[in-house]
Amino acid sequence: MLSFALIAAILAIFPFAAAQPFDLQAALAGAQAGDTIVVPAGNYAGPLVIDTPVTLIGAPGERPVIDAGGQGRVITINAPDVTIRGFDIRGSGASLDREDSGITSLAARTTVEDNHLEDVLFGIYLQNAPDSIVRGNTVVGKPLEMGVRGDGLRLWYSAGSLVEGNRVHDSRDMIVWYSPDSVIRGNTVERSRYGLHFMVNENVLIEENILRDNSVGIYLMYGDGYTVRNNLLFNNRGQSGYGLGIKDVDNAVVEGNYFVANRVGIYNDHSPLAPGATTRTEDNLFAYNDIALWMLPLVEHNTIAGNVFQENGEQVALAGEGVLHNNSWSEAGRGNYWSDYAGYDANGDAVGDVPYVAQSLYEDLLAKNPELRLFQLSPATDAIDLAARAFPLFQPRPKMADEHPLMAPPALPTVPGLAPPPLAANLAVAAGMLLLAGLLLVLGTRRSWRNGI
Amino acid sequence: MSSLSIIWTLAQKELRDALRNRWFVLYTVAFAALALAFSYLSLAGAGIAGFAGFGRTAASLINLVLLIIPLMALTIGAQSISSELERGTMSYLLAQPIGRVEVFLGKYLGLALSLLASLALGFGISGVVMVLSGSGAADPSAYITLVALAYLLSLAMLSVGFLISALTRKASVSVGIGLFLWLGFVFLGDLGMMGTSMAMKMPIGSLFAMSLTNPSQVFKMAAILNINATLDILGPAGVYAVHHYGQSLLAIFLATLALWAVVPAALAYARFANRGDL
Repeated sequence: MLSFALIAAILAIFPFAAAQPFDLQAALAGAQAGDTIVVPAGNYAGPLVIDTPVTLIGAPGERPVIDAGGQGRVITINAPDVTIRGFDIRGSGASLDREDSGITSLAARTTVEDNHLEDVLFGIYLQNAPDSIVRGNTVVGKPLEMGVRGDGLRLWYSAGSLVEGNRVHDSRDMIVWYSPDSVIRGNTVERSRYGLHFMVNENVLIEENILRDNSVGIYLMYGDGYTVRNNLLFNNRGQSGYGLGIKDVDNAVVEGNYFVANRVGIYNDHSPLAPGATTRTEDNLFAYNDIALWMLPLVEHNTIAGNVFQENGEQVALAGEGVLHNNSWSEAGRGNYWSDYAGYDANGDAVGDVPYVAQSLYEDLLAKNPELRLFQLSPATDAIDLAARAFPLFQPRPKMADEHPLMAPPALPTVPGLAPPPLAANLAVAAGMLLLAGLLLVLGTRRSWRNGI
Repeated sequence: MSSLSIIWTLAQKELRDALRNRWFVLYTVAFAALALAFSYLSLAGAGIAGFAGFGRTAASLINLVLLIIPLMALTIGAQSISSELERGTMSYLLAQPIGRVEVFLGKYLGLALSLLASLALGFGISGVVMVLSGSGAADPSAYITLVALAYLLSLAMLSVGFLISALTRKASVSVGIGLFLWLGFVFLGDLGMMGTSMAMKMPIGSLFAMSLTNPSQVFKMAAILNINATLDILGPAGVYAVHHYGQSLLAIFLATLALWAVVPAALAYARFANRGDL
């Protein structure tokens, strides 16, 4: 910090230093371990290879540009304890084989902070870079087909890393491989493929992220002890996409998240896997998803309690035929709130006196004949359920039962929010329609000025 | 008078009549009240969630449109010609120096405008409630498109109603047929298709093609496509449709609805123009 202030002061005293073209490559080549290099505004050609533990800072407010001109990696870090802060980084190559990237770190304790990466295939790639910090960066992918884009951020064997407050959009995945004890917090991923993808990790904390308009919000694949907390998963609707997918994961804790308007809120594929392990899904909001909770029929040892299931197309669905066994839909006499619960609470303990039962002939038909989903929203589907209620002979077996459904939705934690829809424009549209109705009314009631019919 | 002004005068008369028609007023009030209720429910949801999804409210509105709009359009269409025949006013009208084409177009235009007023009222009210509840569309044009599609469906159903009316003499008969067709479009058609698909293990391509025969289904798919930009809410068949037809899918939907609006109306006019019993 001291050396940073010193250099900033020197730059301020000797303005010619800034006026001279600054030679970034030479400054790096001559740097000693622990040096701080402050880079003034300007356009610097990449690629940049850092072999010494240095702190590289774009002069405050000046955002110098490092551009590799569309070839290879822009910045490669080979030394530990390197910091890169305050740059515009752009113009990597587009080769997936070479994994062309904005920043690739191959050493421990890298800090990448407050950079803007654009027109890069991969954004920030931590490859064997444990205990690194990636904070406050923006990554915008190359405008390519989804399949040939790179990952906005990739962690590979980088245990104990912190990824915080980054914004990634129009990229492919933000993916974390073999990086136990990492923390992913307060990031926003939009219009990408996998918002956050985790492969084989332990004890990872994922909290307060916003995942919207991606194919998949968060996908946990293999590993133990993930905590997914207070995230917002909004409008993740890929063709086989989910808000949150959990595959072969033990001891996942999913709490306080908002799952809103996704194709599927949570998809559970055989989690937990190990004997004695559990999956806990508590105090989440599931609202306006096509399916709130989609589970394979063999999924067991889940605890699902204190959640709000608000107006989802299907509250609980099975991927295949069968019914769910050995899961707890309540904890300590407290179940979930279901917006379609039709029971009562005679003893006034805020818990419904009859169980909530997920049972619908139409949904049962859907599980066996998925192509009938084509008739979703058609009044005919309601007619089928009405008929099944009238003639219980046709009523299918319940998929699950919550013995202690809550009568009122519980208070939920707050999560990071979204911008509200445009008020004035929507109001103008609605008012315009009312005006049109009024105009036609006047036309109809006004006496014709002609002596007509 | 030029034939355009004749048509307009007749349309105005039809609009006036619609406002006096108890059925029309009832449907309009029911539609507006239910649209209001559905968007108010989304407001209740907002209290819990802090989010009231436009998508979800729109889905309720699609459901409502599917139920009520065909009923309204079929009934008033079915009454259009036959009730005037029954009352004898049609003979009086045709004794005037105006052609049948003007009478037909005037009636159609008037009822089409009445339906527009009814839809604009219902969607306008629910639109205001949605804005106040913070669940308005992120893109206001999505709402306009939804209303336009609903209107196209109502025109299709109005044309079918006109066809019934042109083929019958008594209003009670034509309204009865109209109600039966409503049952077919809204319930029996879809149930039949679901049953056929299950019994015959139809490939999804054929299932999708078959569903295009029902204008209600076509409206629904177009409306979902407009809101979600995909049809994956409709499962494998929806995904197939988007993959197979891609960009032309919306055009297919619109063309199908337009055909349903134009063909029955043309047939109705052909019958009306050549009827000897007027």
